[in-house]
Amino acid sequence: MTWPPPSRCAVFTPPGGRAMWLAAALFFGLLRVPAATQAQEKTEAKAEAKTEAKTYVGSEVCQACHEEVFKNFQKNPHRSVETGSRAEWKGNACESCHGPGSKHAEAAEAAEIRNPAKLPAAQSEAVCLACHSNKPPRVQSSHAKNEVACVTCHTMHKSQEELVRRAPAAVNQQCAGCHTSVSAQFRKPYHHRLAENAMSCVDCHNPHGSFLAASQRTVFASEPACVQCHADKRGPFVFEHAPVRLEGCAGCHQPHGSSNPRMLARPQVRTLCLECHANIGVTTAQPTTTLGGIPPAFHDLRSPRYQNCTICHVKIHGSNVSRALLR
Amino acid sequence: MRLAALLFISIAMLAQTAPEEKPVPAERSLTGSVDLGYRWISGVGGSFDTYRSIVDLGEGPKLFGVDLTLAQPGNKFFDRAEIHGNNWGDPYNTARARIVKTGIYDFSADYRNIAYFNFLPSFANPLIDRGVILNERSFDIHRRMANFNLELRPGARIVPYVSYTRDSGHGRGITSFVSDANEYPVATHPRDKNDDFRGGVRLVHKRLHVTIEEGGTRFKDDQNVFTSDHNSGNRSTPVLGQQLFLDRLVQAYGIRTSGSYTRALLTANPFEWLELSGQFRYSQLHGDVSYNQDNSGQFVQLQPFLFFTREVTLLSGQASQPHIAGSFGAALRPLRRLRILENWTTDRLHTASSALLDSQLFNTPADTVTLSTPSADRLVWNYSTQQIEVLFDVTSHLMIRAGHRYVWGNASNRAPQLGDPSGIETGEIRRQAGLAGIAFRTGQKLRLNADFEGSPGDRTWFRTSLNEYRKFRARASYQLFNSLLLAADFSLLNNNNPAPDIQYSLRNRNTSLALEWAPAGAKRFSLSGEYTRSTLSSDALFRIPQTLEQDRSFYRDRAHIASGFLDLHLPASGRVTPRLSFGGSFFKASGTRPTSYYQPAINLFIPIGPHVEWTTQWRWYGFREPLYGYEDFRSNQLMVVLRLTR
Repeated sequence: MTWPPPSRCAVFTPPGGRAMWLAAALFFGLLRVPAATQAQEKTEAKAEAKTEAKTYVGSEVCQACHEEVFKNFQKNPHRSVETGSRAEWKGNACESCHGPGSKHAEAAEAAEIRNPAKLPAAQSEAVCLACHSNKPPRVQSSHAKNEVACVTCHTMHKSQEELVRRAPAAVNQQCAGCHTSVSAQFRKPYHHRLAENAMSCVDCHNPHGSFLAASQRTVFASEPACVQCHADKRGPFVFEHAPVRLEGCAGCHQPHGSSNPRMLARPQVRTLCLECHANIGVTTAQPTTTLGGIPPAFHDLRSPRYQNCTICHVKIHGSNVSRALLR
Repeated sequence: MRLAALLFISIAMLAQTAPEEKPVPAERSLTGSVDLGYRWISGVGGSFDTYRSIVDLGEGPKLFGVDLTLAQPGNKFFDRAEIHGNNWGDPYNTARARIVKTGIYDFSADYRNIAYFNFLPSFANPLIDRGVILNERSFDIHRRMANFNLELRPGARIVPYVSYTRDSGHGRGITSFVSDANEYPVATHPRDKNDDFRGGVRLVHKRLHVTIEEGGTRFKDDQNVFTSDHNSGNRSTPVLGQQLFLDRLVQAYGIRTSGSYTRALLTANPFEWLELSGQFRYSQLHGDVSYNQDNSGQFVQLQPFLFFTREVTLLSGQASQPHIAGSFGAALRPLRRLRILENWTTDRLHTASSALLDSQLFNTPADTVTLSTPSADRLVWNYSTQQIEVLFDVTSHLMIRAGHRYVWGNASNRAPQLGDPSGIETGEIRRQAGLAGIAFRTGQKLRLNADFEGSPGDRTWFRTSLNEYRKFRARASYQLFNSLLLAADFSLLNNNNPAPDIQYSLRNRNTSLALEWAPAGAKRFSLSGEYTRSTLSSDALFRIPQTLEQDRSFYRDRAHIASGFLDLHLPASGRVTPRLSFGGSFFKASGTRPTSYYQPAINLFIPIGPHVEWTTQWRWYGFREPLYGYEDFRSNQLMVVLRLTR
């Protein structure tokens, strides 16, 4: 059996060399290193050296003890590592993540093998990202920053359904495990149809990170996921309503759920509109610095006829005909 | 059709030319479940329109779920096929299929059909004081979305892929036809469709990943409005002795948008200690508009003032929208315990448009006024952020981080002002924000993370945008015993804009507690539940339009939200061990719009055989709004489901 070079299993190699330090200094001006950290590094480097003495034994050796895991693994897409086109891990799928297993096989000690589920999140992630580098925003995602490692959501050894949950109910249940208060918003009367399993959290959010805030999924080039279903709100419009572009849908709507019709942020449409179109900019000597300073509308808001602005401003998301968004 | 044929041929050819793999022990299997059933509804008490707007479940036979997986290792054409579906027979149904030949192709198709019914008597009802219940912004439409994705040679170094997405909407509704001094509720027939095609390639190397994607999009909106009924509109008083009315209306929108877009994504890991990522996105959309309107009745135009009996309007317009966005990120690990994350993004959007509106106003055939109104509009938006964060692993269990974000940008928008109909207003955003966070975990038992973000505020887009704010969020989960998991989630947002003419303040707080308890492996019972307390308060100054006096807009929403289920294993009868589960969810809010919404439910599961289970469910929906009593509803539902598993 041809084993891959041992260094491949070293996820974090302590950096060295002038080039790195120069780059670091140029990028961020970071030059100070705490002494305690250096000592710690030496200890860990020794541990690493110890690891390097280990050798690869092949998945068949693992199977002898971990029969159940091996059996489940045959239904897992990661099985392609064992048989797939990338020759370097052929026959060593288990050790591609767990590192060389010779000592573990000899001693049958858990301490002698790497378990990504028990590693600090950043190290565990690095094991996965060694192959799955196709997650560019991952680096900046809030999951990554909060030490939510890949293995928190993806169960590696079991069936494909458990590795990547795709059924809406399963996805929603998994997200709700941590995002309890967000999940509760969907219990409000006006909500997107998550509880009905017609949608899932990942329809709108990309858990691996996103170009947009709140890990909002992008569609088409770089538009928020909302327009994938609400294509009629996408535009471009001849007459745009600026907040739709600048603030996004959440400027006026509570997309997870609301007590108010249409998932609006306020129960009355007029208060929602007037909070921006406050009729103030034109009445004070010093104009306000914020957008939305339309001329005063002298409607009598005591009349129900004027209490819902969208009765007349029907194309509130943007119009192709009327500057006042009337048709 | 041709695309489908091409795809099929490509798949077949790829399958034919598949490299020989070493023989795999064949384990062909069909697994999954099918849920068939029937739902009875006792009859909806109260407002049926509100019931449809919120719940919208109907009576009759249903296919509640399908979840089938066919594994065929060694098959020439595929080695895995999946079909999933939900809620067929209900207003929201979904289907998903996926066929995979490992290393050769991965094809998936998603479909969903979502009914949007919205007719709330309290919403957009200008005639409520006359006792007329008519929501003039209501609709009953279906949106259908389908997405097809084919990836070739997944897992290889070069992975080409193609995708097609279609989204369409059609139905009917009520909207307003607005004419000066009066508006008329009329029937509308929205009809729009969006097609999106894209293809790309992923290049995967050990230390480099590149994705390049090119796409095109086509959108059309053919909404039309037609009425031939006499309609007095919402105005009850005459204008200078003339009663305004609408006799006939045709409005036809013809909107066509098309464009292309390019995306490029890159991740590079040149050294163990450095990870780089970047994105570039560009799109160019162009829209053409034609609009026809023909209405007759009695109307008035206020500027210049004239009465007329017929109006014919034609509009042609176009809009163009280039949109460029990009980002660059770097993750530097100068030390094993230290990470530095740097990120920069920019987003630049520019809409430029023009239109020509020609109107002919007829009083008599001989008395015609022709108006031609050219207009142009623009929206410019430039937005950038720069963020740096330092993450430090204090121990293997504890990570702390701190950072800084700077947000800057500008926008300009045409906003007609009194005496300056072509006025342009400009806005700026400038925001310095401090970031901090902590993550702590002890093995699998305890996990805790917390985030803080705060900014002293400077300039912002809108009066209610984030300005002087503080965000805090903390999440924790604790596996107290193997059988008991506790979780907590807390979030807080305080946002203020203290400018004298704004005085905006927002306080939003959510506190959640959840537990999962399954003693003895849930052999006898298990309990799951969560409770959330959510409060939101908002205050802002505005001026009352008719008097220009200053007033305060305030909103309060204080909600209790809970859900839970207790599962009991009932005593066995022969080989059958039935299960009973009861619980449900409740929502109760007080404040500006007090609301309560209860959904208790009881389920009885009876395993009939090793692969067959019978479920009976009772569920109650109760919705109550003290301020809008005419929207209350309640409904009993009984459902039986036969689950077949394999």
